[in-house]
Amino acid sequence: MNVSLRKTWESLARRVWPPLFLAAFVVVTWALIDRFGGVVYTEIAVKMFIMLIIVLGLQVFSGNSGVLSFGHVAFMAVGAYMSALLTIPTAIKTFTYLSMPHFLKSWIFPAQLNALEGTLAGAGFATVLALLTAAPIVRLTGVAAGIATLAILVIVHEFDYQTSAVTRGTSTQIGVPTTTTLLSVVAWALIFIGVAFAFQQSRFGLRLRASRENERAARSVGVRVPIERAIAWTISGFIVGVAGAQYAHAFGGTFGPDDFFFNNGLNIVLLTIAMLVLGGMTSVTGAVVGCYFVTIIFEGFRRWEINGLGGVTPPAGTSNFVLAFVLLVTLVARPGGITRGKEVPWPTDWRLPRRPTPQRPALLARFRGTAAANEPAASAETAPTD
Amino acid sequence: MIRIPRMRTGASTGAEVAAEDWLQALRASAGIAVPLGLLVLILCVILGAAKGIQYTLDAISYGSIFALLAMGLALLFGVMGLMNFAYGELIMAGAYTMYFTRSWGWLGMIVITIVVVTILSLLMELLAFRPLRRASPVTLLITSFAVSYALQELAWTDVLGLSHRFNATIGTGPQKGVQPYPWLTHQFSISGVLISKLEIAIWIVTLVILLAMTFLLRRTTLGIQLRASTEDFRMAQLVGVRANWVISAAFGITGLIAGVASLLYIFRNGQVAPDIGQGPLFIAFVGGVIGGLGSLSGAALGGFVLGVVINILNASLPFKLHSYALLFAFVAVIAIVVFQPEGLITVRGGALLRVWRRFRKPVTEGAPA
Repeated sequence: MNVSLRKTWESLARRVWPPLFLAAFVVVTWALIDRFGGVVYTEIAVKMFIMLIIVLGLQVFSGNSGVLSFGHVAFMAVGAYMSALLTIPTAIKTFTYLSMPHFLKSWIFPAQLNALEGTLAGAGFATVLALLTAAPIVRLTGVAAGIATLAILVIVHEFDYQTSAVTRGTSTQIGVPTTTTLLSVVAWALIFIGVAFAFQQSRFGLRLRASRENERAARSVGVRVPIERAIAWTISGFIVGVAGAQYAHAFGGTFGPDDFFFNNGLNIVLLTIAMLVLGGMTSVTGAVVGCYFVTIIFEGFRRWEINGLGGVTPPAGTSNFVLAFVLLVTLVARPGGITRGKEVPWPTDWRLPRRPTPQRPALLARFRGTAAANEPAASAETAPTD
Repeated sequence: MIRIPRMRTGASTGAEVAAEDWLQALRASAGIAVPLGLLVLILCVILGAAKGIQYTLDAISYGSIFALLAMGLALLFGVMGLMNFAYGELIMAGAYTMYFTRSWGWLGMIVITIVVVTILSLLMELLAFRPLRRASPVTLLITSFAVSYALQELAWTDVLGLSHRFNATIGTGPQKGVQPYPWLTHQFSISGVLISKLEIAIWIVTLVILLAMTFLLRRTTLGIQLRASTEDFRMAQLVGVRANWVISAAFGITGLIAGVASLLYIFRNGQVAPDIGQGPLFIAFVGGVIGGLGSLSGAALGGFVLGVVINILNASLPFKLHSYALLFAFVAVIAIVVFQPEGLITVRGGALLRVWRRFRKPVTEGAPA
């Protein structure tokens, strides 16, 4: 066989290997849960896959841009509320949302979308919110970005909480169709694993990752950092919006504003960020591994807490404490996350002796020409003077 | 960019240095006094003199606590780049210590609370943050969440079995109280204005701590090392500042401040619960951002102003409007972070200082020969 052709094939296979591996992993989990898991484990799995979708959304933005975000759960809230509003049967809507203002009534009341349309519509509104909020967020990095995204979360939460004419405030929703199944969340998770990988490998993703490694160098070769970040922010808004829509139709269709906020200690906001950081922010593998790791530890101890094992039952709340402790220990032991931000390696690379890893990710090499931007003094010496 | 109280450049003699210190303090206090004066004036016009003054005094004591907390947050942020979300749990720990030692007399209670909170703060650094010193700010942030969560869970589940030891039930019910001392919270009237000794104590303690911090930061070796580390941690290390020592000191100081703040806070509202630290942390955090987390005085001022504003809004606005007020406050936070990332309230020096120098030195001396 032609050597060069084989090399082309291999490089192609290497490129699609990580998403295929992760997809297979997810499918195997699904098959196992579907076959052997009862009601309890199915519910845990649904929750885990919804978390996984959020973590993938976070990975698309935070992982590639290096900018922290607490605000993605706000997109989840928007996706959940819009999807619910548009799918509740008209007959129920007309008497549960009596005080809804007319300009919303006129199109929300007649709407009766099916599950898929509802999810897409909810995610669409989340995307609109992402577009609207992109302008301030993309200009920030570090703690400033964390604060601004947190502010978005607080604003959306306050709105949900106070505007009971549209969201029913703290009262539970009535008549939300419970259409979310294990299959639907698995399908979305598979799609978004693909999307996250495609984005990471695309030119947008590459430029964004370059700006993460070195913003000045990236700028100097013409990367418009705010625009690249805005693209990732919008895509991740859509992904997390889908998670929200799926969440709205799972677990009996009851949800409230506090489901999308910090309620009592560790919660959906921090848990998803913790999953991403724990797995390794910069890789999709990290997102998946982190999600599985946290869920297994937490739910494992929780089962023990509820069912007991060998006559021993730990006090209530142990699972929470253990989770916090494991988080801490893992972060101390591996500050770069479990995967250290790398994707699943190609099978033949597994047994190779560990090469000394370069200090900087290889991505920087693509921009070596612009390393001068970082070292103006050195470049002044070597630059041609004519 | 990280800023600290600006370095002196022109001063040479000791007297000059001292005078500039005073001027700087004057400037800072003028920055607080002028808006506060306006506030008093407005409130007096709306509510009548006595009530207006009382509202303001109450708001000041509330704001003072957040000034302390915001300063503690800013110190850690400056030295380590750590946005410490476990800070609220120091207050929680202080609250529980007060609860357990409530029968030990007020002096014992105060001393032990401060000691316990400071030790906890140092332990936090030693066990959680020291191994992660080189880690990215995001990792540090998540770590602080984990610490915060672990401590809260510890309080909820009562893992240490403290309830048996102290013959009390913690964790089972969220509402536990520290009985207020009647002599401390009893309000007495000064020509129609109701004041309690606690409020006076809060003002004095805050003032003393702010002055002590100013002295520490400007006059002691440790303070100068801390400020240098706030400005550029790596450079400070290169010129011989010992990282472990400075960071431990920063955690110790913030622990001390948190201990005092938790005392004041719990004396003021008496409630003890595992998640009690979250509310004050949130306000101090946002206030610190508004004031500028990069500067200690700015953060303290920001926390103070936000505390005052929230207290007055709580007291005067109808419920509905007050709830949307938080929404608008956070829109403002986004605007500040985007357009004025170093904080809204920067204590701008320079102008006054220059006036003073001109006054001090004869004109001929300044002119080039």
